[in-house]
Amino acid sequence: MADDAPARRPDLTRRAFLTAAAGASAASALAGCAPTSLAAPRAAAAVDDPPTAGAVPVTLRVNGKEQRIRVDPRTTLLDCLRETLLLTGTKKGCDHGQCGACTVHVSGRRVNSCLSLAVMHDGEEITTIEGLGEGYLGEGLGTPEALHPMQAAFVAFDGYQCGYCTSGQIMSAVALLGEPCGPEDADVKELMSGNICRCGAYPNIVAAIQRVRRGA
Amino acid sequence: MRTFEFTRASDPAAAVRAGAQAKTAQQGADVRFLAGGTTLLDLMKLNVETPARLVDINRLPLGAIEAMPDGGLRVGATVRNSDLAYHPTVERDYPVLSQALLSGASAQLRNMATTAGNLLQRTRCMYFRDTAMPCNKREPGTGCPGATGCWPSSGPASTASRATRRT
Repeated sequence: MADDAPARRPDLTRRAFLTAAAGASAASALAGCAPTSLAAPRAAAAVDDPPTAGAVPVTLRVNGKEQRIRVDPRTTLLDCLRETLLLTGTKKGCDHGQCGACTVHVSGRRVNSCLSLAVMHDGEEITTIEGLGEGYLGEGLGTPEALHPMQAAFVAFDGYQCGYCTSGQIMSAVALLGEPCGPEDADVKELMSGNICRCGAYPNIVAAIQRVRRGA
Repeated sequence: MRTFEFTRASDPAAAVRAGAQAKTAQQGADVRFLAGGTTLLDLMKLNVETPARLVDINRLPLGAIEAMPDGGLRVGATVRNSDLAYHPTVERDYPVLSQALLSGASAQLRNMATTAGNLLQRTRCMYFRDTAMPCNKREPGTGCPGATGCWPSSGPASTASRATRRT
């Protein structure tokens, strides 16, 4: 099945492919059992959906698009982005504000989305990794052909290994461009200290950021 | 995280009234003000804080940094750490304050954390944060593993925590 997949199709994401493949294999493993809905894509909860108990309406402007949703007040901004709006580019690492994998921009400032409630941000502008670059297509899809300069620099300088921290690193790095920051590598390291990389890609991350800052 | 009611204060007086409904002001308070959330939500995830109601004060007009006639500086409750640290007056006249703020936490947390929240921040002690362990600050009278060692010799709390820790 995997061999049949075309190398790149704009309407087929890796996540959608893997979800479908996992669902198909689960379905064959369960042959003879009752039909399952494992492969069914989850729909983002819209405000028109029947309200869940205790849910409150929230309107977020995410990557330029207004999202009217209902969330349990306990829902963190991180879980809202990932589970309700299906923007899974933002990652959950420690879930306690220590690793930076969940970094997004709220009204242009970088924050840890795991330590913020979605309901706190009613009416506010949220930018995630999916919203960077000129290639943003809406519905959580960017395009590799029109990366933000910071995304391109991370690719050029190999600023990652496993990639799990990368979206948080890039969101932090893009925000850093607009913050008071000295010219040295040490200044960048200090202001990037809220983003942990277990693979230790720090030298390449700093090189990528410095390349963008110097406009080279 | 336990369920809670989320409310937003319309003005500072309403926030004070809402806070006054809590049966205690400190430990175990069932009403908490929510500003940056960087400590409160962290502790709520750990069930160390279990408020029944949160009062969001982020939209109150408390975000100003004002020079006072006597030469002092008045810092609003919801001024973010980063805004305070990089404020020109603070950088010029209060460089130690600026440097201290920039020495703490991360850039993301400094963008969230507020001046009032700093004053209300709870201890970062790992025993306080771990409900499987006794802690005099969290539950007065249960003991302090920081003073007596990790495995206090008696008491129901220590027995429970020993069982939890060894499995």
